[in-house]
Amino acid sequence: MLAIDARDVEKTFRSGWFGRRETPALRGVSLTVERGSIVGVLGPNGAGKTTLLSILATLLTPDRGRVLVLGHDVVREAGVLRRRLNMASGRPSFLWSLRVGEIIAFYGRLYGLSGARLRRRVDTLIELCELGSYRRVPYSDLSTGLKQRVALAKSLVNDPELLFLDEPTLGLDPDVSVRVREHIARLRREQGITIVLTTHYMREADELCDEIAFIKAGRILSRGTPGELKRQIRLGEVIALRLDPPAVTWLAEAPGVLRCVEADGWVECTVDEAEKRLPELLRALHNDGVVIRNVQVREPELEEVFVELAK
Amino acid sequence: MSWRNELLAVWAVTLRNALMGARNVFFFFELLFWPVVGVLSIGLMSRFLELTPAQASFVLVGTIALSVINVCQLEVAYAVLLDVWSKSLKHQFLAPIGIRHLTLGSWVVGMVRSSVVFLLLAALGWWAFDFEVLRPGWLALATFLLGCFLTAWVVGVAVCALITLFGNRAEAFAWATVNLVLVLAGIYYPVSVLPEWIAAIARAIPLTYFLDAYRSYYGFPSEFAAPVATGLALSVLYGALAHWAFLAAIQRARRTGLLLKMSE
Repeated sequence: MLAIDARDVEKTFRSGWFGRRETPALRGVSLTVERGSIVGVLGPNGAGKTTLLSILATLLTPDRGRVLVLGHDVVREAGVLRRRLNMASGRPSFLWSLRVGEIIAFYGRLYGLSGARLRRRVDTLIELCELGSYRRVPYSDLSTGLKQRVALAKSLVNDPELLFLDEPTLGLDPDVSVRVREHIARLRREQGITIVLTTHYMREADELCDEIAFIKAGRILSRGTPGELKRQIRLGEVIALRLDPPAVTWLAEAPGVLRCVEADGWVECTVDEAEKRLPELLRALHNDGVVIRNVQVREPELEEVFVELAK
Repeated sequence: MSWRNELLAVWAVTLRNALMGARNVFFFFELLFWPVVGVLSIGLMSRFLELTPAQASFVLVGTIALSVINVCQLEVAYAVLLDVWSKSLKHQFLAPIGIRHLTLGSWVVGMVRSSVVFLLLAALGWWAFDFEVLRPGWLALATFLLGCFLTAWVVGVAVCALITLFGNRAEAFAWATVNLVLVLAGIYYPVSVLPEWIAAIARAIPLTYFLDAYRSYYGFPSEFAAPVATGLALSVLYGALAHWAFLAAIQRARRTGLLLKMSE
């Protein structure tokens, strides 16, 4: 069952006098998202990621195309839809004088919670997002990481079926990022929430997403699981070798080797097919009198896929 | 939306604005400093000009109305301004609420705050300048205050629409619009002293009628037939128009992306 079914979505921003300056943000984007999945929207700056998320979340209206979210049209049935979704951003902002508990309670009331139910919900979210010690702290006094946790708590206040996360770990310390990622994974695992996220961190996408849509200049260029994307791009596989002597000049010229780089005492050879090339390389190195101290075979990083697609 | 959820959404905005107001020192200035300075300076001027008690009451009614409307309309404008300042506007419009919740919730706080201002200024006017705010009676006073609140509501919602339409640049409207309305509505003078074309504009402003009705109890014959009914009818009409404009401005902001630009 689909949580999102967007077809041929177009959006152009107009600025200047009489809207004469046009900036196309989305040029016929189609995207489907299965319920209960985590889908990442990746792409370089200005690719249209936030615009796409904002349209799906009813904050922007598309110029053209049909967008159904949880079975509702995002333009005609936005009011009904807003009860069932929510959004958090990596650059959160809330009223500066309100305290953490008050912010969550304010949004809870907007979603129809009151009395004991509201209090329970606020308590649960404060505990879930580890904000217990900051409940009475004004928003303006919080650190970036804590503000992002408040945003995450606010985005869960209505028990959304669909959650949009716009760069949820932007600017966070690594340990906090790990915890936020754990939260996100747990939300899907325990509550079955469908999550659509944008991120610049490839590791985050690789770790969290069932599927990734690569967007550039307002078009989705590629789509699939992280593994599928890596195969689609045909970046090959990497055979990393620790050798003695460490540099072997002929390796880059060996059959099936696409390129070779040296880093931190390792020689990394990208090959067309690791299963076939590994025995050949090992044999050739042995015959050349080179001692092989360590061997690793890995798929290319998602970051390499990103760089290739963003070219 | 059920009645319970309607009231809850209004209450959420009311509580939010009240909390923000209680924690901001500048709001204290809005509430006390400027209104008190206004009544003192106008009252002293009326003494210097040796106005009769009735004439002094005439201008003090205008001064008090100015403060009451100013405080109340600013609070209504805070429905949008607070979120524009904190760049959190998109969260508000992502939630399943309508503009009526925002404007009504803010209006409630505005009415409470401006009632406090009114009580303070009425007491000050009575103590310093023998101004009897209750001379027209409770009903006339309540009608006058209602007229001030309705005017503030209309102006505040119109300001919200302008800010949503033009972004932060339109913030100056929040501070300036009400003063223009008050000048046109005959704050310190009867509208009959205005040039005819300005008086025609004044006759289209609800506050003109509420001021006229209230001042009639201080010995200044009413210039209009059925001023209270006319003022109420105009307020309802402009209130509906202002809400329609605000709604249209939000729809436009969703189309142009201004809603996102004013957030985060």
